Amino acid sequence: MSIVSAKMLTKVYAGKIRAVDNLDLEIEAGQIFGFLGPNGAGKTTTLRMLATLIPIDSGEATVAGQDVRRQPAKVRRHIGYVGQFGGADPLATGREDLILQGRLNGMSASDVKKRTEELIDVLDLREFANRKGSTYSGGQRRRLEVALGIMHRPEVLFLDEPTTGLDPQNRANLWVQIRKLRDAGTTIFLTTHYLEEADALSDELAIIDHGKIVAQGTSRELKQQIAGDSVLFSFKNNGEILDKAIQLFKEQSYVREAAIEGEHVRLYVQDGAEVLPELLRLLDKEKITVKTIALSEPTLDDVFLRKTGRSLRDTGPNGKENGESK
Amino acid sequence: MKPLRDTALLFQREFIHALRNPTWLIVGLMTPLLYLALYTPLLQKLAGGPGFPTTHVLDVFLPGMLAYLAFMNGVSEGYQTIFNLKDGQIERFRVTPANRVALLISPVLADIAWMFIFIIILVAVAVPFGFDAHITGLLVSLILLALLVMVTGAFSIAIALINKEIGSFAAIVNGISLPVMLLSGVLLPLSMAPVWMRVVAHFNPLYYVVEANRVLAAGNIWNSSVGLAFLVTLGLMVVTFWWTTRVFRKAVA
Repeated sequence: MSIVSAKMLTKVYAGKIRAVDNLDLEIEAGQIFGFLGPNGAGKTTTLRMLATLIPIDSGEATVAGQDVRRQPAKVRRHIGYVGQFGGADPLATGREDLILQGRLNGMSASDVKKRTEELIDVLDLREFANRKGSTYSGGQRRRLEVALGIMHRPEVLFLDEPTTGLDPQNRANLWVQIRKLRDAGTTIFLTTHYLEEADALSDELAIIDHGKIVAQGTSRELKQQIAGDSVLFSFKNNGEILDKAIQLFKEQSYVREAAIEGEHVRLYVQDGAEVLPELLRLLDKEKITVKTIALSEPTLDDVFLRKTGRSLRDTGPNGKENGESK
Repeated sequence: MKPLRDTALLFQREFIHALRNPTWLIVGLMTPLLYLALYTPLLQKLAGGPGFPTTHVLDVFLPGMLAYLAFMNGVSEGYQTIFNLKDGQIERFRVTPANRVALLISPVLADIAWMFIFIIILVAVAVPFGFDAHITGLLVSLILLALLVMVTGAFSIAIALINKEIGSFAAIVNGISLPVMLLSGVLLPLSMAPVWMRVVAHFNPLYYVVEANRVLAAGNIWNSSVGLAFLVTLGLMVVTFWWTTRVFRKAVA
């Protein structure tokens, strides 16, 4: 039984931009589900529809067994949400903020007190729990915000780009916390545009582009679809050489795919190390001088590239998601 | 009662916030004090003349000033809304089961509470300078002003939610505030104005509140202009709350 389920979920902005386009999704309870895609792909918009923040234009969704369109108030009792902008109160202390969050979620005073102390320990907030939110560092603030999201022990926790803006150490720290939550039984639905994060953290992930899911499965399954290594060449005296080289590569039976990527040519082959000497001999014979070679096992970026024809890395981290630029 | 409990919880938070941001409190109190100190003297020569039937100008100017204070308090509400949109607090609370009306109204209620405190200080300061305070009139006036803050506060929050940016929000609020103030008779009674201005003023809700507040300050409660002001303000409150609730449910993306 899926804890989050969406059928034909659609959000249209300005009457024509299909931010989320007939999206189907089933998420099993108790796992970390990663939603990977470039900015503007519809990740945040999907998350916000499921978290009852914006209306669903068409389609159906249930979260924790409740209908998101018809029973948003019931959904809210079962979910936690940490948005991109967090929501910690700069003028309240972390402890005050947690207490308020608990009370608004209908917890009893004694339960609120117990849970506050518990979360202060779990998320390591003790040192600054009595200071105002405005004095927190980025990592401290994020930890408080995650604590706010799980104060009422939700079954599903939505995290929208949880580690954006965190330094590597704080990011790793937050990954540990998120895994701990999963191990304690919370289902976690997180969006990210970091390949490494989706790869390292998700039990299962979906890749989204232009409002549609283009691939879904475990990280391993997705990479196996690529089945092979990628070899990236660049040459001296570019220009016509690129076309010549790609022609040459395409003639070889062991090259599955060859495409120009900017100044580079990328090939997919079964075993990169084995065919590399052969490739170099071929190029030498044609008097094409190689400038750089990079050989790599498939990554989620290769999966994305294969499915969409673009690289996730090229889409850049600084665009705005459809949902917020509205 | 969950709506009441949620309102109480959020009200408490908002009320304390003001104390932690004392700049806001100091500026909020200084503005009307400066008007009293630096503007009232300019009116002295008009005492007893047209528009100033009483011997003391404060009796005319202070009640108008208080209505303006209420108006500005409400209209400025949206600044906080925009900050809370940006730092994610509005989203955060909207995902909780907290009562929607409580989310919307609690910052306005906290503002009203602070305004009451300001008004008491202002009246206390004005009495030694000749302001003739009538307690019952003042109490009714507080209710009327609280309603005015509800109207302008809800309106301001809706404008903030739609615009989402401080710049455009400030432009709209300032654009509205200036003509509303000039056409309300706060600075000089409109009985001194030409006919066309007096006609236009009747389309200005603040005008009714200023007029009623002057009557109330003189101790007259059962007066037609008081009734009219309550009628106009309550009517507007119904309309703005209906609108703002809709905006709050839909426009917060």
